[in-house]
Amino acid sequence: MTARIARWSLIALTVVLLAIWLPQVKNLLFEYRFGKTQLFYSPVIEKFIYTELVGAGHQFVYRDQDGRDYDREAFEQLIPFIYYKNMELWGKLPLELAGQTFDKAAIRAERLVLEFEPRDLPEHSPRIPLFPLLESNPGRSRLRFPEDILRPGAALTFINSDANRRESELTDSFTRALAKAGFVFPVRATFARVSILKAFDAGHFLIDDQGKLFQLKRVAGAPWVRSVPLSEGFRVRAIKISENQGSDFLGFLLAEDSRLFLLGQGDDPLTPLELPGYDPERMELKLLFNPLYRTAIYSDRQEIHAIAMDRAFKPIARYQRRMAMAAPRLVDTLWDSLTPVNLQWRTPESRYPRLTPQWHGEKAAIGMSMALVLALAWLRWRRAPLLGNWASLILVALTGFLGLIALLLFPPEAESASS
Amino acid sequence: MWFAILLKEWLKLRWSLAALLAVHLGVLGYVFLTLRHQFQIEHSEMIWYWAFELRRLLYTPLQYLPAFTGVALALAQFGPERLNGRFRLSLHLPLRGDWLVWSWVAVGALFGALLSSLTALGLYLLIGQWFPREAAFSAVLTALPWLLGGWVAYFGANLALLEPAWPRRLAYLGVSLAFLGLLYQERGYQEYDQIFPALTGLALLFIPAVILPAHRYRHQAMIGGAS
Repeated sequence: MTARIARWSLIALTVVLLAIWLPQVKNLLFEYRFGKTQLFYSPVIEKFIYTELVGAGHQFVYRDQDGRDYDREAFEQLIPFIYYKNMELWGKLPLELAGQTFDKAAIRAERLVLEFEPRDLPEHSPRIPLFPLLESNPGRSRLRFPEDILRPGAALTFINSDANRRESELTDSFTRALAKAGFVFPVRATFARVSILKAFDAGHFLIDDQGKLFQLKRVAGAPWVRSVPLSEGFRVRAIKISENQGSDFLGFLLAEDSRLFLLGQGDDPLTPLELPGYDPERMELKLLFNPLYRTAIYSDRQEIHAIAMDRAFKPIARYQRRMAMAAPRLVDTLWDSLTPVNLQWRTPESRYPRLTPQWHGEKAAIGMSMALVLALAWLRWRRAPLLGNWASLILVALTGFLGLIALLLFPPEAESASS
Repeated sequence: MWFAILLKEWLKLRWSLAALLAVHLGVLGYVFLTLRHQFQIEHSEMIWYWAFELRRLLYTPLQYLPAFTGVALALAQFGPERLNGRFRLSLHLPLRGDWLVWSWVAVGALFGALLSSLTALGLYLLIGQWFPREAAFSAVLTALPWLLGGWVAYFGANLALLEPAWPRRLAYLGVSLAFLGLLYQERGYQEYDQIFPALTGLALLFIPAVILPAHRYRHQAMIGGAS
């Protein structure tokens, strides 16, 4: 009996490992090279235009939403705010659009790209909860890392990096300043952009025990605290800060109910973005700013959506399409027909490996039937009793070729029945 | 009888354990020296930035140590038995063969666990020397899949050593290597936090599995086919 349990343990192990590894081997053998569609709103023709790879080599199409094709240079001229350097080379600056004239400086001043990806969600990336609180007023041309690190918890503890020891004075002054501003400890979440390669430092955004939001900076070594006004009951899920010079916005704020906002610096800091169908769990989002429009583009690996907005973020046009990369490939169809399930190990949305089952649906019945026929033939060839091997046959019927491989690796022991 | 069996395992393993302990302490010492060196040549806040933001792991020399230990323990326990055919004699003891195998494996796994605990404790203390406790705890969590790799390598090597037939040995090695391959894919700290319980559950399947090659060996021994 124990030998039988041992064999089935090995078979279970093998089936799981095959379901994880074989799809990865298939992807290595038949690498998918079609990237995501690049979608824009053209201020010239006031339509959505896109470019995508549709075949081997460099088979790109440059197309508008009505299906009209362009060559590459014509396409780039449809989005002159993005290709403004090429426009300058081609002698097409300054540019006249919508009754206004834009030179290079005017375009540069308004251009901005903000991104929010599933990996920006705290639950999609592990994080050691220690953060440098930069000096926001360094009195020099570049920001620099401080010699201490912030531990947000029941207090704002600072730890000196040279001695690996708590800095009592800093800890007390920052904890007191935050408490004085109405912050209720412990700190529930912290959001900041940890980099010295940024235009300026906006400090940290901290959520207190009651869900309220505060901005904390170190200015000339002293605490600077601002309570960020949010409506009653508003719950913050994540914040992504991107300190860009000349922008009114510090980044994105994602609410618990998946609504996305731009985070500003004034008394009414949240600018809502209308993004139907947006799912922060699996979609990457880009917000493109130009002197005339703002365009939100968001996509998973199947669909791409775009919303063009005026300067006040009021939607003026929408478009969505299934990307070329979503078209089923022959090799995937064949694979899905041979096995009933893949265990997906990594996804681009998360840093954590997972065992996410991807069921292949009805078409897997083909592979399951073929594997079952082969298993029956193999048992007959071994002169093994079919009824005595019903469990092996059920395994193959349920798991197709995964089970068949495991069965061939660990065939029934002639003596196992007696042990 | 049980005491005698455990004593035999201890006698077989003691010198290997002493050597492995020296290797573990040596690698921990090496990590200590490299960390100390880093903190001498670079500003501490930059090393903290590498560790926390760039997710650079400063203790990778420990990565394959548990797997190496697992294989070494299995070889020390079952290598000599298989070389001299003593394994056949052991299986003729008046005890149930499967319990006998599990007791041997339990001894090896216990010593492997002790060495792993020592490594984890050493890692915690080393990182805690230069980094706050969160980073030391994170280092241990990051090293957990490597420690599980020790378990998988130990059982994988046992399966291959106890198995009498070469094709089946390769099958066991393939399964074990496929499992090990899952445990070394991190690109930063703590990436296995969510999947570790599932992987541990899967690795527990090796406990019943280790009976199969011993069972096959005994069967072949009885019919005179074991080598």
